[in-house]
Amino acid sequence: MNKFMQVLENVLLPVADKLNNNRYLTALRDGFMVALPLIIFGSIFVVLANLPFLDKLIGKDAYSAYQSALGPASAATLTIMGLFVIIGIGSKLTEHYGGESLYGGVAALAAFLILTPQTFEGVNGVIPTSSLGAQGMFVGILTAFIAAELYRFFTQRGWTLKIPNGVPDAVARSFSALIPITLTLSTFLIVRVIFEYLPYGSVQNFVYDVVQAPLTSLGSGLPATIVAVLLIQVFWFFGLHGQIIVNSVFDPIWYALANENLQAFQAGEELPHIVSKQFIDSFIVGMGGSGMTLAVILGIFIIGKSRQMKELGKIGAPAGLFNVNEPIIFGLPIIMNPLAFIPWLLAPVIVAVFTYFVMATGIVPPPTGVIVPWTTPTILNGALATNSWQGGVLQAVNIFIVFTIWWPFLRIMDKQYYELERSGEGSTDINKSA
Amino acid sequence: MVRILLACSAGMSTSLLVSKMKEAAESKGMDAEIWAVAQDKAFVDMERADVLLIGPQMRFMKRKYEEKAKDSGIPVDTIDPVSYGRVDGKAVLEKALDLIKK
Repeated sequence: MNKFMQVLENVLLPVADKLNNNRYLTALRDGFMVALPLIIFGSIFVVLANLPFLDKLIGKDAYSAYQSALGPASAATLTIMGLFVIIGIGSKLTEHYGGESLYGGVAALAAFLILTPQTFEGVNGVIPTSSLGAQGMFVGILTAFIAAELYRFFTQRGWTLKIPNGVPDAVARSFSALIPITLTLSTFLIVRVIFEYLPYGSVQNFVYDVVQAPLTSLGSGLPATIVAVLLIQVFWFFGLHGQIIVNSVFDPIWYALANENLQAFQAGEELPHIVSKQFIDSFIVGMGGSGMTLAVILGIFIIGKSRQMKELGKIGAPAGLFNVNEPIIFGLPIIMNPLAFIPWLLAPVIVAVFTYFVMATGIVPPPTGVIVPWTTPTILNGALATNSWQGGVLQAVNIFIVFTIWWPFLRIMDKQYYELERSGEGSTDINKSA
Repeated sequence: MVRILLACSAGMSTSLLVSKMKEAAESKGMDAEIWAVAQDKAFVDMERADVLLIGPQMRFMKRKYEEKAKDSGIPVDTIDPVSYGRVDGKAVLEKALDLIKK
């Protein structure tokens, strides 16, 4: 068993390193981080604008006035989140190459806008916000990568204006960015013109049909979700941060799905997707952390007879309430523990499947696309994500499922610790290292 | 004055450890600055630290940190998973001090 673990770890470690350190995936992750405060701000106002029962409380007219007063908060952030992600990616990737990150960011933004249709229903000079949000996201991500690469390429070629000494630094810098940006944006303009003569009409349509739609439909399905969840659990089992490793690949898809849900939610239409960023964040991670360990903590409190378990419960519970669970993962321990392997892998998959079907049958509505910070405590987390009390109840049911799966395994672990402690061989004080 | 930097994915779980390490340092009467950051910020903060300890779940980042550490000349190591799980501030503090001494 040990040898097998060693071999697997030798395989997984480089994969984790590659995924976490791939410059495009890193820029993507960090680009989303740039947008995140704005997305969360917008999400809070979507929740406030759609408080349940408020329309009955204050009347229809007052409610619609209230909604349109709060509307701009999300319209300026969530609806056009693609823009912020693009600036974030462009600047982070440029920063990676040691360039002027702000210019890389704005070059990416301008490149994206060059590709974006600037007419809407025959009116010129109008950019439809729909192409700046979820729909434009994939074009935006690709554009930001390519724009930042071109900008770097032209800069590194030294195709910049040489500014004489004595010119203020800020002036010199904006001039040295002039030629690389001009060349980068001209390239995109050419691409746009070419696409106008192709059957798709625009790069946006092309990428949406050929890349984004197939990818998101794959990512919204149950099989891909199970694979993602399993991968997260396997990485963690070897003590590697599965969430950030797997998310770097899945986040663009999950965010796009979430944003399409959000648009439908705000328009009062039926939500198109079940799986999205919040499906994972609230119903898998948001129940005590990866592997839904809130249920494990509960089990520790109910079953724990050994000192080791009791101490671990005390250490792990406060952090676990806010979905931070490293103390449990490393302390129980879950990593490399053959006894923990089965429930650790099984529970999140079963819960994911169960949650999927409960939402598919409409008993609980799917997440609305509102971003709930992953540190939000369970129950509240599910209620906010789905904008319904059912979401909170579903989380409670899920915790119970996880608890049931872990129960026999926790009992065996506790018994082992207890007997070790009684025989005096094991450490009876958790503060002494074993 | 010793300056100990901890890093994990978001700086959340390591910050639990930070408060325990501070308690341990205080009880020893030590003058120590201990802080936790998210993985990327560690590259910047390394410059004003004496040692960098990374959460075991981020150990695949170790090589990257070591490359960077060549410039600032500080030791880098992964926190032992058992101490990490037990949020054992004392043990991790000892380890940090050992690394600095070397």
